[in-house]
Amino acid sequence: MYYVAKVNSDMCAEYKCNTCTLYCPEANTLMFNKDGNTSWVDEDRCKGCALCVYVCTDMLDRNCITMEMAGHEE
Amino acid sequence: MSLAYITPSERFKKYLPKDYVELIDFGPFGKTQEEAGPGNMGQFKELMEEHPMCSGCWMAYYIRLIFAALPCPEETVTIGTAGCGRLAISQAAVPFIYGNYGDQNAMASGLTRAFRLRFPDKTKDVLTIAGDGGTMDIGFSMTMHSWIRGERFTTIMLDNEVYGNTGGQSSGMSPKGAVLKMAPMGKDFEKMPATDLAKAAGCVYIVRMSPTNIKQAAKVIRRAIFVAREVGPTFIHAYTSCNIEYSIPTEDVFADAIELGKGRFKFDEYMTDEAKIVIERVEGEEKVARKARKAAKVAAAEAVN
Repeated sequence: MYYVAKVNSDMCAEYKCNTCTLYCPEANTLMFNKDGNTSWVDEDRCKGCALCVYVCTDMLDRNCITMEMAGHEE
Repeated sequence: MSLAYITPSERFKKYLPKDYVELIDFGPFGKTQEEAGPGNMGQFKELMEEHPMCSGCWMAYYIRLIFAALPCPEETVTIGTAGCGRLAISQAAVPFIYGNYGDQNAMASGLTRAFRLRFPDKTKDVLTIAGDGGTMDIGFSMTMHSWIRGERFTTIMLDNEVYGNTGGQSSGMSPKGAVLKMAPMGKDFEKMPATDLAKAAGCVYIVRMSPTNIKQAAKVIRRAIFVAREVGPTFIHAYTSCNIEYSIPTEDVFADAIELGKGRFKFDEYMTDEAKIVIERVEGEEKVARKARKAAKVAAAEAVN
């Protein structure tokens, strides 16, 4: 049981922004979809450090990324 | 390695591992910085693959940035030594040589000389990427001598101020007063003045920084490589925190890096006049090429319309 980052794609698509993808310590994990104008997380590779949450919430005040239980479907 | 060596023939592609084919098709090989550079990480397949570094490791982020900023990844060789850094550097699609502890700069000296003899018509970049222990403690003599000899390659020190890989012993780069293993009462001595030593030893381009501004950090890496191609040894001293041994919660790693970027890792760039001439020339050429590509793109779009 562990947490991984999850991007709210509807909220993320409102901004022209790919800042979180630049600061992820994992390569090829937090990716940017140019067509949907949104970031997305490869859940199998995310180590759950929440650095992207700091970038999105504390630095940019956009609150698009949350930490959620891996594989948990609502 | 070269671009022709890396690229497989079209008909052979279906027999190759998928990862490799993706790296050729969507990776940064043979592409410009606008297509696959630090500014659009997350939109191309990166050179670095999965690595076993800790969650939230700032060093892993900086290594990812180094590989995205390389001006010519297909002609680059990295050299590392024991420590956390090599765990990630060795996972990248760039040839990596693993030295005995601390001899990375001695090996790089031989390698750059050999490259210049063997490939006089090509520019081969050699980077040594090692931690503070490998560069300034155990590899100190070889690092200093490579600089004094004026060997033309780039040295990048990933300074996490501790021996993170072996369990948190204090290093020469730990700040005074830091409570660590082997320094339970707080470290007695001052942090080594790495950039001053580099200046005294004859490095022509020296930067001390905390890599929080991605554009600036990438520019520094590229400048260091361009200067090392022509003028002499270059040195980057970068702060890459160890969130385990310094007990920094992972979500605060960035904030810590920003704070130290205002403190003892305040951005400091030193270059000689010769290095400045090279930087101005190369960046001017890049600017012209970028403008030409932009104009070509606009012209192509108009032709379609």
